[in-house]
Amino acid sequence: MSLAHTLSLIDTQARMSLKCEASRYFLGYLWWLLEPILYVVVFYLVFGVLLDSRGMEFIVFLMCGKLPFVWFSKTVVKASSSILDHAGLIGRMDLPKAMFPLMVAHEGLYKQVAVFALLVAVTLGAGYRPTLAWLWLVPLIAANYLMIVAISLAAAFVVPMFRDLVLLITLTMTLLLFVSGVFWDARALDPAVMELVFTLNPLAFFLDAYRQIMMYGLPPDVPHLLGLTVFFGTLLAIMFGLLHRYSRFLALRALTA
Amino acid sequence: MTMAERRLLLQLKDVSLSYQARRDHFAQGVHRVLDGVSMELYQGETLGIIGRNGCGKTTILRVIAGILAPQGGVVWRQPGKSCALLSLGLGFKPALSGRDNALLAAMLQGSSRREAESFLNDICDFSELGDSFDEPVKTYSAGMKSRLGFATALKTRVDILLVDEVLSVGDVSFRKKAQEAMESHVGGAQTVIFVSHAAPQVVRLCDRAVWLDNGRVAAEGDVSAVVDAYEQALRGTGRNTDATVKSPTLLA
Repeated sequence: MSLAHTLSLIDTQARMSLKCEASRYFLGYLWWLLEPILYVVVFYLVFGVLLDSRGMEFIVFLMCGKLPFVWFSKTVVKASSSILDHAGLIGRMDLPKAMFPLMVAHEGLYKQVAVFALLVAVTLGAGYRPTLAWLWLVPLIAANYLMIVAISLAAAFVVPMFRDLVLLITLTMTLLLFVSGVFWDARALDPAVMELVFTLNPLAFFLDAYRQIMMYGLPPDVPHLLGLTVFFGTLLAIMFGLLHRYSRFLALRALTA
Repeated sequence: MTMAERRLLLQLKDVSLSYQARRDHFAQGVHRVLDGVSMELYQGETLGIIGRNGCGKTTILRVIAGILAPQGGVVWRQPGKSCALLSLGLGFKPALSGRDNALLAAMLQGSSRREAESFLNDICDFSELGDSFDEPVKTYSAGMKSRLGFATALKTRVDILLVDEVLSVGDVSFRKKAQEAMESHVGGAQTVIFVSHAAPQVVRLCDRAVWLDNGRVAAEGDVSAVVDAYEQALRGTGRNTDATVKSPTLLA
């Protein structure tokens, strides 16, 4: 299977899967926007109305954290079981196993376009004005996607080997929700502690970078961003290699485990 | 032309495959599916593999197609030759229309998006689905699904075609049409491995046959001799062929 064909197949599969999902609900594709809008409404009710004190700024702060976090967690959780989910297909064709988590990630990317559009709209609506620093969103989102894809591939590789890991991955997402600075500001920490958090938890770095760019017009820590890109680029290459090398073993696990 | 003069396309030497089958918590048993299987396939021939349910027929096709790797032995395929299982309903998604599913299945079978789109009218005609072609597959009857699957599967273009119990689809009249289409596909230059538990199909379609029993080759060679031996063994053990047990859907 040529690379061009594989890519076009991944794209078609992802779009068909989105179509499939949309057809299940009466409001169909509208849910792409409705779901993140409902997040915002919930945040607004809880933090804007009930807790009153924090205002629109905190809502934008939360959205910059929560929406990219959901992108990451949903994609990785779904990708982790993607090879097992396609056992029927795997039993009939020798397909590259990386295709399955890539399909999930690609599907998530399509949806995330709508989510980021909403994030930008709310940020502008809250009175923030775009600056040149907003151009940093392009490499930031690209690096964030690279991280999501690399971790999705790793999750899809380990789960057929040891299925119980699905539960651990879900649990890890809950843990990450609390330690990645979705609800609190990493900048409020002692600078040394903040550096440590950003180094150990790339997700915390990304969420903070979205805020720095969109709320304060500040560029991200470029060497850190480059470092993460190299790290996840390497992880991605390793995972492609492992998924290729153990392709038939993964097929056996998917069919028999 | 003798076998030796024909071009060898595929060779299996002493192929074995087993996997861990879970019996209870923390207890694993080993399930041996293929045990020292050797066979050859020559260009242009139709080789039949016959055997009871659970004898390893589907697994051997998976090994040949490169889906599974044997733990022992060697699978040699002539370099550059493609090989695929003819599959009904490849990855069908019930919520999508027959058209979308056919497009996806044709792409999975190796066609480019443009080629796949050009097949759609043929597939619609052959499957006799009419307007239902644009309705979700979940609204189809089992027969309609098999017809769509068969029409799509016919678009597979490979050097070695692997066919698993494919002719038991749809109602009587469609089965006849499918059989004719299959036979014209199988005849001619196409190299085919045809797997079945039904002796008459194998006799009609195949040049040569292999009888697989409990993961081993019990007999191979001239198709009528192998089928006779297989049928005799079935009578001998007092078991019926599993035709009544095996469902018509493939590799599900």
